Amino acid sequence: MTSSPSEPDIAHPESSDAAGFRSVDERFRALVSSVKDYAIFMLDPSGRIETWNAGAERTKGYTADEIIGEHISRFYTPEDLARGLPAKLLAQARLDGRVESEGWRVRKDGTRFWADVVITALVNDRGELMGYAKVTRDLTERLRAQEEQLRLAHAEEAVRLRDEFLSIAAHELRTPLSAVQLQLQALLERPEGLDPRTRAKVERACRSGERLVTLVDTLLDVSRMTTGSFNLVLSRFDITVAVQEVVDRFREHAIRAGSSVTVRSEGVLEGRWDRLRIEQVVTNLLTNALKYAAGTPVEITLTGTEHDVTMMVSDAGPGIPPSEQERIFLRFERAAPMRNFGGLGLGLYVARQIVEAHGGQIQLAHPVPKGAHFVIRLPRSHSPETAG
Amino acid sequence: MSHTVLVVEDDLDVRQALMEVVEENGFAALGARDGAEALLLLARATELPCVILLDLMMPVMDGASFREAQRRDPRLAPIPVVVLSAYRDVDRHASSLDAVTVLAKPPSVRELVDVLRAHC
Repeated sequence: MTSSPSEPDIAHPESSDAAGFRSVDERFRALVSSVKDYAIFMLDPSGRIETWNAGAERTKGYTADEIIGEHISRFYTPEDLARGLPAKLLAQARLDGRVESEGWRVRKDGTRFWADVVITALVNDRGELMGYAKVTRDLTERLRAQEEQLRLAHAEEAVRLRDEFLSIAAHELRTPLSAVQLQLQALLERPEGLDPRTRAKVERACRSGERLVTLVDTLLDVSRMTTGSFNLVLSRFDITVAVQEVVDRFREHAIRAGSSVTVRSEGVLEGRWDRLRIEQVVTNLLTNALKYAAGTPVEITLTGTEHDVTMMVSDAGPGIPPSEQERIFLRFERAAPMRNFGGLGLGLYVARQIVEAHGGQIQLAHPVPKGAHFVIRLPRSHSPETAG
Repeated sequence: MSHTVLVVEDDLDVRQALMEVVEENGFAALGARDGAEALLLLARATELPCVILLDLMMPVMDGASFREAQRRDPRLAPIPVVVLSAYRDVDRHASSLDAVTVLAKPPSVRELVDVLRAHC
């Protein structure tokens, strides 16, 4: 193959090429000086800088004019200078021929970068030290990525440990509650029956036990929701059936609250949702309605379009003042004063988290003539990957 | 058909409460405090139980390991198992156990008795 006039003449290193380089040596020097990712420079035997390339300027911030003739200790941190690191590294390179180290170095502007440094001793035929070649790579980004990876791994481990603890804590709390509930229920179910006063007492104890179980579950849920480790298990079902089941479970509760609960639905309204979670939303809204609007009728209306289902839970109680309407969906918040109503203040927060995890929305309808009207819109199908 | 229910549960109070519910509803009850004790009881039993109420989290041998051993034994494999657990998401924990019913603790007595009647 014949070299074209514009290409460097590799076969004849001594001949001049198009760029004007006369020797391999010159070409090599040109190559080194143009390298931008590595700081490559030479030092005299005392450690003073003799050459400087583009990578060195880019990494350390000095121009050749500024730095040639200066000692390499310029690049070291005060801590490393105090322990004599530059001299130690040069001595080791001289002894072993080469030394490699990683550490913080200082740029012209005072900022630090994490450097991978190789210092090679340059020795002539007679074994005399001629100087050093120093190659420095800026590994700050890699270090940061490693640190970030480590931080993420620690965070994931912390979440896993917390989830495990919560799971065990919930299990341990539920176990004695199970014994209590089973004994109380067994008393109520005795074939010989109980006298009315005893029955009323046992029923009250039973209800309190149920509330304790719900509180344990709610605390566990909230903890998972706040850290994002809350997953949906989707299945296809008719939301009207699910809502009706919750309402049936609330029958006695509604009677005690002096409220009627009516479900109106267009019929079968199917979608892919997490059934337990959707039931939890209905439970939380019904609990609120029966608590804050006791004595007024509660109505749940279900309607659907091709893409979504809308559920409205309305009562005819005191309603929620406009100033409180966003706050009530936050954790530990409530519209009613705490001295009047107990509870953790988590029901609507949990409901909103569940609805939003399904890609839906929950809000208060306004203006309404009387009471609180919660409107929930749920897409019939939602990919949990996009749920966040 | 046998009318004995085997209750495998490590918590003494829960186990006794469950056994009482079983007995008060006309069945006989046997109790084991973990999976290993349950396997021992089953090995010695001349008449096998009609249903096993199985807790999941137990020392020595947990519910999943018990179920694995039970399914491997052709004599024991046909006994229906009702998983009863205090795990919050009991369905998820029990999904691979092929239980006839999965009940969250505390179960309602009526629910429990209905399940026993369906299998005994």
